[in-house]
Amino acid sequence: MVKQAKATKASGGDNFTRWLVIGMVTLVVATGAIFSVVGQKTKANESFIALKDFKVGAAVAATVDTNNGSGISINTGAAKTIDLWEDPQCPVCNTFEVANGAYIDDLIRAKKANVVYHVLSFLGNESVAAANAAYCAADEGHYLDFHKAMYLVQPALENSGFYTTQNLIKIGKYAGLESPSFVDCVTKVSKLDLVKSAYESMAKYNVQGTPTVFFNGKLWERKSGTFLVEEFSAAFEAS
Amino acid sequence: MRNINKKFQPIISLVSRLLLGGVLLVAGGLKAFKPDESAGAVAAYKILPTNIAHLMGYALPWLEIAIGVLLIIGLSIRFAAVVATAVMLIFVVAIISVWARGILIDCGCFGGGGAVDPSKAAEVHRAYLVEILRDLGLALTGIYLYFFPYGLLSIEKPLQIIEEQ
Repeated sequence: MVKQAKATKASGGDNFTRWLVIGMVTLVVATGAIFSVVGQKTKANESFIALKDFKVGAAVAATVDTNNGSGISINTGAAKTIDLWEDPQCPVCNTFEVANGAYIDDLIRAKKANVVYHVLSFLGNESVAAANAAYCAADEGHYLDFHKAMYLVQPALENSGFYTTQNLIKIGKYAGLESPSFVDCVTKVSKLDLVKSAYESMAKYNVQGTPTVFFNGKLWERKSGTFLVEEFSAAFEAS
Repeated sequence: MRNINKKFQPIISLVSRLLLGGVLLVAGGLKAFKPDESAGAVAAYKILPTNIAHLMGYALPWLEIAIGVLLIIGLSIRFAAVVATAVMLIFVVAIISVWARGILIDCGCFGGGGAVDPSKAAEVHRAYLVEILRDLGLALTGIYLYFFPYGLLSIEKPLQIIEEQ
């Protein structure tokens, strides 16, 4: 013990060496962190390339149905109803969107169905931010475009710093949302109450995961592992 | 006991340094070049605000690498041991915290991370226990190194040895 304590005074334990080492460690950590932050920014910018040729569709009016889990409802009152439960960060929802997104878009634009989007946020803070932005987009009549654009740039990893206020506004810009009211709504997280109430309604409708689909209130029990549009459209037609 | 420690102390110190430093270096190295994964892993603990969690996710792997290298080569061992012990204890507290709050995550200790499917709850809880014990064990090696920093194959040498040369 004594031997070792004495020793530190002589080597490596003097003030200069100590501060030198602390300085070097700080330098390594700071350089590494800055390198990572810059890398992430570049990567985020690169992911927007997916939106380069994005075409904004005509505005579609949407309402929030507080009697139906605060879902974003389009074509309210149509004969058939589809309830979609999704989380902006859920990768399987992206798979679902790739398979059936265009078909559902067509149904909505042809006014063939009342589609209610339940935007969930159980995957963390970034889902909350993205869900809030989705409600903001619904107010402006561009929910469909925003929804599509959001899934096109969805990062592979959850909560990895992609759905920032800045990037959500940028997604909005590609989706035809350039009004100051949208920017304001995203920045101030104005729709937090709706986001929370949508999340809390999961238990009421016994939704345990995403994506979950109901046709006219009846759970869609798909038979294939993937989300084949043939199976989805057949189920819709039969409903 | 005291005599045994006196006799084997240089070897125990070396083994402790290689063990603690090696684990840190590997853990840091596996994460340093996957910053989004690392940032997501820290955010999944839901302890820090997202922005700060991401920053920590970017910085932590580099801290692990720096401290790991210092321990392995045997430079500023005491300083490195204190930081390593603190880091390990923080990991223990963080894992206890997610366990207590019923959050199911992959610790992301060696890369990976993020939420885990509820169906794997039993496995995750077992993993938490193993991780807590492992990190406590590593913290013990750090504490040992604080009291006995000098061992075999170390750049930093105690005064006596230098005098003898």
